[in-house]
Amino acid sequence: MSNDIQQRVVKAIAEVLERKEDEIRLDASLRDDLDFDSLKQMTLFILLEDEFQRTMPPEDLTGLVTVNDIIDFITGKLQEPAQT
Amino acid sequence: MKRRVVITGAGAVSTIGTGVDEFWRNCLEAKSAVAPIPENWDHYAALHSRIWSPLPVIDPDYLGVARTERLQLDPGSVNAIGAAREALAGAGFALVPDANNSRVFTLTGADATRIGVYLGTGIGGAYSFLHNHAHHLYQRARATLKGYAETRASAPDREMLDGVVALMAHGPRYHPFVVSMLMPNSSSAVVAIKFSITGPNTTYCVACASGTVAVGNAYRAVRDGCVDVAVSGGCEYLNDEHGHIFRGFDVAGTLIRDCADPQAANRPFDQKHSGFLFSQGGAAVLILEELEHAQRRGATIMAELIGYAETFDAHSMMSLAPGGAQIERMLRAALADAGVGVHEVDYINAHGTGTRNNDEAETEIIDRVFGKSVRVNSTKSLLGHTIGASGAFEILVTALSLRDQTTHICKNLDAPLRDLNFVRAVEPLDLRVGLSQSFAFGGHNAAVVLRRFH
Repeated sequence: MSNDIQQRVVKAIAEVLERKEDEIRLDASLRDDLDFDSLKQMTLFILLEDEFQRTMPPEDLTGLVTVNDIIDFITGKLQEPAQT
Repeated sequence: MKRRVVITGAGAVSTIGTGVDEFWRNCLEAKSAVAPIPENWDHYAALHSRIWSPLPVIDPDYLGVARTERLQLDPGSVNAIGAAREALAGAGFALVPDANNSRVFTLTGADATRIGVYLGTGIGGAYSFLHNHAHHLYQRARATLKGYAETRASAPDREMLDGVVALMAHGPRYHPFVVSMLMPNSSSAVVAIKFSITGPNTTYCVACASGTVAVGNAYRAVRDGCVDVAVSGGCEYLNDEHGHIFRGFDVAGTLIRDCADPQAANRPFDQKHSGFLFSQGGAAVLILEELEHAQRRGATIMAELIGYAETFDAHSMMSLAPGGAQIERMLRAALADAGVGVHEVDYINAHGTGTRNNDEAETEIIDRVFGKSVRVNSTKSLLGHTIGASGAFEILVTALSLRDQTTHICKNLDAPLRDLNFVRAVEPLDLRVGLSQSFAFGGHNAAVVLRRFH
């Protein structure tokens, strides 16, 4: 896992929540610890698509519970070829 | 007794400048932004008009919109927020970040329940609709074709299929917030959310008269005591990746046909006019305020709104009714509402599109109602046609002209269709009363009357 990806994911989460980056723990649950509802979750993935320039269809996102899950998911996404 | 209504703030996002100061300076210098249409639009249709007026890249600091907001809004709504932000700040309202959400502001100096938002747009979030529609139509078909082209097609077929795949361009996602992006009322809604304004909130969707109808109804709301402050104006974003919106106006024969000299092609009221200059859009916002409310705050007053009227032709969806009886009735009603006679009007900011249908009818009506001495110009001779934002830009120009006692020229006017007092030079004038009028597809007519404020 790259520190750069981790940093950018945490920054995006902080942007959505209007919180400081150091308040976002990597093992935090989006829903239970960070109070993400479905609208905030959609906003986060729009932001991550913009940040990493990869498409993230909603069906690929089920099962992502923690911040670490998202970082792993993005790491995998970035290993796929970019769509043209 | 009618309450008096004044303009205390303004904001502008336009093809010739961001912010009212730059916009107005460039108006007086007769600047325009005219460029060839995007090359890829020609891949989809044979387009007759070849030019448009594109927006510049807007400074994100001016707009004051965070990435999380921008990615969930139609560009037209983003521009409306920027213009509203400038207008509210210019009116002297302090914009205080909310304690729990720094992207949202509260206003000091006014009761938020006594502020209304009245914005006009002709096509709402058409960009967002078309952008997502392309994804909906093409994404699966394009992927299938692309896969076939890459794995199974012969070389000649591959070349042909690659061309088809390229035509099926679409954005990266079907946006989960597409409904709230495309609905026309999103512009007035997002402005009120951004600035925590909880009074009446209405979007007027009246084609080319949208901005005028919005400001006119905001004027009535302040005058009649429904609200003390109104955020009013118009916004429009006339762009899409495939040239679809441009084609709609082009195929109707409304856009400039003679594009041989692009910088001189946009010529409202000139004998060589050949249609209107399609603009990418923009936003103009005016803060209307009850006079005593404005004076108590120590606000700077730009001009006073004194009258408004609207009528409907009930004739044709696409052309003005011959004779202009309903336009004349609208003008006389607006002047009666303002309490001024026709000869007291010093300046008319005309609808002035550059189409044969408009220019011939409008010059005849101005001549008949006001005579030859009233000064006339067309802000569309500078901006092109911003459809739902146009009326708001033109009321803004009328207010600035009354404030500064001068106005911009009617650009590219060499041989006028009719002998009227068109503005040919920027010079000191004695302007007491001004009128801004708009006519719209469908048959809507509207005019706002303004007075210099002492």
